[in-house]
Amino acid sequence: MGHATIEWVYVGAVSALLIWVGAAAWDVERVLEHVPADAQTIKVIGQQWFWSFEHSDGTKEINELHVQKDTPYRFEITSLDVNHNFNVPDFTILMDAVPGRINTLWSQFDQEGVYLIQCREYCGYSHYNMKAQLFVEPKLETAAAETAAAPAVAPAAEEQKPTGDVTLTILEGAATQGNPDYDPKELSVKQGQTILVDNVDAMPHTVTSGEGPSDTNSGKIFDTSIINGGESAIIDTADIEPGTYNYYCSVHPYMTGTLKVE
Amino acid sequence: MVLEVKKPRPLWEIIFSTHHTDIGLLYIIFSVTFLMMGGALALAIRAELFLPGQQIIPDPATFHRFFTVHGTTMLFLWAIPFAAGIGNYLIPILVRYKDMAWPKLNAVAFWMLPVGAGMVWLGFADLGWTAYPPYSIIRAPGPAAELWIFGLKILGLSSILGSINFVVTILRCKHPDLPIMKMSLFAWSILAISFMQLVAIPTFAAALIMTYTDRLGISGFFNPALGGDPIAYQHLFWFTFHPEVYIFLLPGVGMLYEMIPKFSRKPIYSYQSGVIAFMLLSTIGFASWAHHMLAVGMSFTEKTVFMVGTLAAVPASAMHVFNWIATMWGGRIKFAAPMLFGIGAILLFFASGAGGVVNTALPLDFITHDSYWVVGHFHLILMGTVSLTFTGFLYYMFPLITGRMYNEKLAKIHFVAAFTGIIVVFMTQHLLGLYGMPRRYFDYVPLEEWIMMNQIASTGAWVVGASYLLMIYNLLRSSAKGVFANMRDPFNIGEIYYDYRRREPIH
Repeated sequence: MGHATIEWVYVGAVSALLIWVGAAAWDVERVLEHVPADAQTIKVIGQQWFWSFEHSDGTKEINELHVQKDTPYRFEITSLDVNHNFNVPDFTILMDAVPGRINTLWSQFDQEGVYLIQCREYCGYSHYNMKAQLFVEPKLETAAAETAAAPAVAPAAEEQKPTGDVTLTILEGAATQGNPDYDPKELSVKQGQTILVDNVDAMPHTVTSGEGPSDTNSGKIFDTSIINGGESAIIDTADIEPGTYNYYCSVHPYMTGTLKVE
Repeated sequence: MVLEVKKPRPLWEIIFSTHHTDIGLLYIIFSVTFLMMGGALALAIRAELFLPGQQIIPDPATFHRFFTVHGTTMLFLWAIPFAAGIGNYLIPILVRYKDMAWPKLNAVAFWMLPVGAGMVWLGFADLGWTAYPPYSIIRAPGPAAELWIFGLKILGLSSILGSINFVVTILRCKHPDLPIMKMSLFAWSILAISFMQLVAIPTFAAALIMTYTDRLGISGFFNPALGGDPIAYQHLFWFTFHPEVYIFLLPGVGMLYEMIPKFSRKPIYSYQSGVIAFMLLSTIGFASWAHHMLAVGMSFTEKTVFMVGTLAAVPASAMHVFNWIATMWGGRIKFAAPMLFGIGAILLFFASGAGGVVNTALPLDFITHDSYWVVGHFHLILMGTVSLTFTGFLYYMFPLITGRMYNEKLAKIHFVAAFTGIIVVFMTQHLLGLYGMPRRYFDYVPLEEWIMMNQIASTGAWVVGASYLLMIYNLLRSSAKGVFANMRDPFNIGEIYYDYRRREPIH
């Protein structure tokens, strides 16, 4: 049999250490929970597999988030399909995006630059590729901020459907793996023609040249970037060398097709 | 009866036996087989992550299936069945009864395992081993997900039946001359985890059925489109699986209490402290489940409660560590392979426990949550502590099972390779997490630090894999050609080894 005293001293020391850790953690978290009153709200929506953001002035962004340095922001985070996790490792921003719930956290960015936004909760096929960019920009004066915000809203006012020589349709339901996606799958055009990419699906899609997300030459030949549901984009083939190119959707990489330029 | 391989018998006689040592042997063979299969998946995952970009696994969906089946296999087809196997072997010997209380039920509980295992492996689901809804409900492809759900139901039922058998054997069939406070601490650990399983598993069993009916579309418990709450699933899941962490751990703790005093040639420092720590862990273990969910958007009060609940379980674990060190202190330690594995496991238990305190300290959790830190942390406890102890105990039991000795030199090489490999893989993964790499990523941003750390981790993983192949070679060869063991004292410690006829507890 051992000596109980030594063990009591030891257990006491371990417990004291744990109480200290717990109290210190509680004290820090208590401050972090308190959102400043002048914080601007940004809505964050996670979807398989992209992020969309809505600023308090109504500006919307996809896979890019522009914020100002030294301004407190309150993020309202949710999801429209499965669980995601809104994570900016450089600023220790981490919160689950859960459908049917709005989670909030706040942060203030103290360094300018471009940072990685990623998803940290397993959400299916392209979980690893659910990335966005955070741009922390210099703080503008209030008056300047209003004029700067104005042009960003302007293009949305022009309701003009573009036209092209050939149409590539992204079919309804294409976001679900296994459904028909691009129509036609193999498109032939003559060099110089323009292609109208018409997204009739409800989800955002892209037409991005390359083999898939791990292809380092992705999007170098042509890339529509995100086309929202119901919207369209134009690909101009004037600068594309004749040949056959594979393309895919950078949001849903299992959507693939080929483009033949003659 | 105890010597399984020494007296060759037809295979069917072992397979259809209801004797506890035969079933124990089947459990051990089954679990070690799945350890190797799950390990092969892990090595494929590490090969994929050796470089950014797609390497050997064709697409992300396959990668997700690999880590799902790897996790499910290691937890439910290696850790739990191995503990049940050793329990089957030793519990009747330690409580001095002829067999388990219900031998036929015991055989049924074992034979449910291959059925459940077959379903998990044939389905090869991509849910992640946690199967969080709404993904598991609205997006996961069937029939893989259904096979996973029913495979886990069968494995859970098998654990429940096994637990009932252990509880009854220990409490009702114990020899009247053996007071419970003189019973081996390994028997205490099996008693503790059997009670924990009886309390914990039904919650997950219910969640599995709810997930299944949600998938059928006839209910919406966890489906927000039908008014359900996906977080409710996480509560049900972790109410089972945080205690489950202790269910994986405590048999290992019990095995260390068997080995450490014998190889230190000293009695256990404080038997009562060991019993009290088991009781504390198996109750407080139920008070900390939501520390896995600190980032789901809980209130500050909830987060604080679960942080306190988690920290409260640490002193009991620390009591075990103290007890082992105090037992070894001043002992004439014999550094045979089982003891080396035991000491390695204690060192890594300390490291992973300290990492756990970091995870639960609220602001720090938001750095480590769902990153490679967490992967490193739970592998350090499951591979570094639980599996190293189990491996050591497998060597320790080898003479009892086969009547022969394993090759000591190869076993020591196995220990050195496995121990260093584990440190290289999982300590590196802790750092990788601090650099921001999330878990369950098929491909990663080609940052120089991430590539380097992934390569170090992969190399370490292959060392661990090779060391376990060496163990399989050693055990297979020695069971056929090893020298006959001195069954009174195979390790030359000067103490009586297991004698199921007249074993007295050592105190």
